Amino acid sequence: MKVSLNWLRELVDFQQDANALSALLTNAGVEVEGVETRGVSIDKVVVAQILSSEQHPNADRLSVCKVEDGSGEPRQIVCGAKNYKVGDKVPLAQAGAVMPGDFKIKVGKLRGVESQGMMCSAKELGLSADADGLLILDPGSTIGTPLKDLYHGDTVLDLEITPNRADLLSHEGIAREVAALTGRVSKLTQVFTPETASGEPVAVETSACSFYSARALENVQVGPSPEWLKSRLESLGLRSINNVVDVTNWVMLESGHPLHAFDADKLQGALRVRFAKEGESLHALDGKTYQLGTGDVVIADESGPVAIAGVMGGEATGVTEVTKRVVLESAAFESSVIRRTSRGLGLSSDSSYRFERGVDVAGVLRASQRASTLLTEVASAQAGALSIGSGSDSVDTGALLQGLTPVSHVPLRLERVTALLGAPVPEARINQILSALGLSQDGAGWDVPSFRGDLTREIDLIEEIARVVGIEHFPPTTRARFSPSSDTDRRYDRLMKLRRAAVGQGLFEARSLTLVSEAMAQSPFVKGAVLRVKNPLNEDQVVLRPSLVPGLLVAAGKNARGGVKAIRLFETGRVFFAEGTEERTHVALVVSGPAWTPSWRCASAPEVDLFDLKGILSAVVGREVQFAPAPATGTLGIEVNVLVDGKVIGVAGQLRPSVAKEMDVQGSLLAAEVSLEGILGTAEGAALYKELPRFPAVTRDIAFVAPKELPHQRILEVLGAANEALLTGVELFDVFTDATGEKVGIGQKSVAYSLTYRSSERTLTADEVTAVHNNLKQRIISELGVVTRE
Amino acid sequence: MEAQLESLRSEALLAIAACTDEAQVEQLRVRYLGRGGELTALTDRMKEVPKEDKPKIGKLLNETRSAVTEALDTRRVAAVAAQESRAFEGIDVTLPGVGYPVGALHPITQLMDRATSIFRRMGFALADGPDIETEWHCFDALNTPADHPARNEQDTFYMPDGRLLRTHTSSIQIRTLERVAPPVRIIAPGAAYRRDEVDATHLAQFNQMEGLYVDEDVTLADLRGTLEFFFRELFGNDAKFRFRPHFFPFTEPSFEVDIQTAALGGGRWLEIAGCGMVDPAVFEAINVRRGEKVLDPERHSGFAFGFGLDRLAMIMAGVPDIRLFTDSDQRFLSQF
Repeated sequence: MKVSLNWLRELVDFQQDANALSALLTNAGVEVEGVETRGVSIDKVVVAQILSSEQHPNADRLSVCKVEDGSGEPRQIVCGAKNYKVGDKVPLAQAGAVMPGDFKIKVGKLRGVESQGMMCSAKELGLSADADGLLILDPGSTIGTPLKDLYHGDTVLDLEITPNRADLLSHEGIAREVAALTGRVSKLTQVFTPETASGEPVAVETSACSFYSARALENVQVGPSPEWLKSRLESLGLRSINNVVDVTNWVMLESGHPLHAFDADKLQGALRVRFAKEGESLHALDGKTYQLGTGDVVIADESGPVAIAGVMGGEATGVTEVTKRVVLESAAFESSVIRRTSRGLGLSSDSSYRFERGVDVAGVLRASQRASTLLTEVASAQAGALSIGSGSDSVDTGALLQGLTPVSHVPLRLERVTALLGAPVPEARINQILSALGLSQDGAGWDVPSFRGDLTREIDLIEEIARVVGIEHFPPTTRARFSPSSDTDRRYDRLMKLRRAAVGQGLFEARSLTLVSEAMAQSPFVKGAVLRVKNPLNEDQVVLRPSLVPGLLVAAGKNARGGVKAIRLFETGRVFFAEGTEERTHVALVVSGPAWTPSWRCASAPEVDLFDLKGILSAVVGREVQFAPAPATGTLGIEVNVLVDGKVIGVAGQLRPSVAKEMDVQGSLLAAEVSLEGILGTAEGAALYKELPRFPAVTRDIAFVAPKELPHQRILEVLGAANEALLTGVELFDVFTDATGEKVGIGQKSVAYSLTYRSSERTLTADEVTAVHNNLKQRIISELGVVTRE
Repeated sequence: MEAQLESLRSEALLAIAACTDEAQVEQLRVRYLGRGGELTALTDRMKEVPKEDKPKIGKLLNETRSAVTEALDTRRVAAVAAQESRAFEGIDVTLPGVGYPVGALHPITQLMDRATSIFRRMGFALADGPDIETEWHCFDALNTPADHPARNEQDTFYMPDGRLLRTHTSSIQIRTLERVAPPVRIIAPGAAYRRDEVDATHLAQFNQMEGLYVDEDVTLADLRGTLEFFFRELFGNDAKFRFRPHFFPFTEPSFEVDIQTAALGGGRWLEIAGCGMVDPAVFEAINVRRGEKVLDPERHSGFAFGFGLDRLAMIMAGVPDIRLFTDSDQRFLSQF
């Protein structure tokens, strides 16, 4: 909402300049988003006529002019512009003028020729952004007239009005607010005169119009608006149309009540307010035709709709230069209906903006009277009959005609003010604030006028007090209270621990978007029906991701293209499913590139493989994690299930090289995704101390040749099944195959294990260990049919 | 015998002193003190010494043995030290360190965790709620009018079943209050969604931190104290604040908080949070849902606040484009 400071000063007498007022308003919740100056407010800039122009002796681009500025003596001015001719009238900044940017005009020499001032462009005067040469003034302008009398200077504040403060969408409303903030008194321009509804009643067929008034104005002389009207509207960003339309806009900006003027001679029969009928449309003032729905309220005559209620009038019945008789509409429409219509039609106007936020029914007739008064002044109109109508039983039209403002009573207890705000506000201050805002004290509470429909409860009044007094009045207090930790706390802590474990493995945390494309919802790891939003903004954001891995794989490709060699990414976050638990937390990782950073000490490193991934997963998810082979499917070349407590909670695997290559990743590309639902939800038990070994351990190796496909897991199982109490560790330290078949037969592998034996009670003897070791060796030979190597 | 011992001693000590490495020392040890060593041989000849000379020769023998032993030990230590030093010589210590892998938490996670630990120090516990929310939790219970623009399909993502992606984490206030009774003192970091076109400062998804405190005597002064303390802990004691009255449907009075601090670029005021005293209408909605008066607006009061983590992280680190946070580029992620 744009506010003219000149206009505001006419309504309330305050001392503050634009900056001080901006600070006051902003601190009271009416944020000033911009301050702009309009017109010319520079002294010593006057209308001057160019008498002659000659080429500057020392500069091709300059001319030397003689100008008459009303001082009697022609002045010599050096000028760089080319767009004038001798005889033109232009603005002249005389010596002593201070231009925008604190640029002082002095008598001085330009390339050796004296210049006694500066002829100005519109840009130099701050009138426009356009700098094309001198501002050529109206030939009728009187020489010597100060420019600020031709271009009235003003300051315009751009205010952000919060949706609860419809009363601030007018200069009178802002004036009332400024009065409360500065301790001054604001005045209203129009004093209401009680009147009678002499015209035919208006049929209002919907409660969406609580009050409608149509005032006849005769002998209207439509024409251009006077300068004061035109310049003020223009400085507030409105285009001047004609005196009638301009007056309706003026009154809207002044009082906050949108008005509409119909050409009475173009209306057919009586006006009525009703819902639009199926198939009706209106060619509106903006030149576009709108198809109306049955939920849209219209003003109609016998021929059909002539205006979309509260939004815009029709072109056919609008006021033009030939209009002689006017019907002036001032009404109150329900905000929700106007909002729906405005949004539905994709059409918003200054009028709909105000109706959407709520217009005070008690001000409707005053605005109509104000416009009538102004039209009498500027368009020689004669006020005629007033017709009214109401679609609501709760509106007392008699009281409205009398100009009575309905009030509602709101209680206020001083102790609640203190209890809620934390510091007392003196009663006298409270009274002053609420009175200045237009409320009146009534017993234990306050009477709130209808223009402050947002004040209905005690808390609303307390807010007004807090807002005007300012937060500075309430010194900050800090009080700690104990809070037991929640399940969310425990989940958070476990998740952070897991994230830090991943960082400890050299991984970088990614946080990608939850809404993904259909393609990104295809995960090699996670299956299940997905959830989609109903109204995606674009095809990149359709599906609520069921898996984190696709995002990380895309990121891997992006990183590879960016020259990152060792790709190490992980992400924890929510994933979504149409079946089962809807929102779940997963962790995913993607690794590629060398297993460690090559350096001058060791110039090459192997590529990461499944065993790096398993190692990282064990560190990230926890030591209790296990793996089981799984058939590789789709884009995966190799795949394992990730288990905790025997339950599959995720998948890890390596992508086929061709798939990796498609993603611009050269070499191995591995990924894993694990559900954390079972892990985060369970309490983490405290770790229990196990006694450190007191007796020495003995290690014995065992090496054997086995079929290539015999899994390590199977060997562990055989050793485990022996239930040998003295065996405390099994470590695989060598796997060897020979493609030539020379050292180890084709289809065979040589493996070597180191077995650790220890007793917690005594030092083992060599014989004891030998006996146990031979027993285990025998089991392996007999159960697995392998050949030991000595 | 005496003379032999004397000469052996001086010869041995000379030889030991000339040793340059540990192996030579060991050779000499064997030569003099070994099983067939020279000093051992002399010891064996003690029986030939006349009885009256035995104490004197015996003493001399012992002295010689300990002198040689000591000289050997000293020389060995010195030889080992010299040998080790030679091994370290000539190493170019200016060669670059060899890389150990270092990862990093996402900058937004880092900020979220810092914020969380500050609030926990102040006695707040964590709370949570679903991303897919009901309209009731996201709007109705938060006193948002039925025709409020935020509910529009142009601004909010809806699910086919009528639910929506929460537009703010304030829905977690409701999720918490419908479950527990005051005192409630929670914070909730989480994702929120708006149907915004993506550009350098907007994503359709962003991260918020929500806070709520409801008890019997919570005041606006407490809200001010809590937020000022929090942001000073986060940004430093130079932080100055401006609480601008504002409007949110679910708080009254409501404020926007502006901050001025060197950590966020110094001079200018930056809008960083929205906050206010919980509107009694929110309490009323909870009471209706729970079917009992758990929250009495005459007795209970509370404050709520929320702020965006993405924007703060952007300003703190000078990140020019919000999309960098979701691009998973390691060259970016490794900077934090």
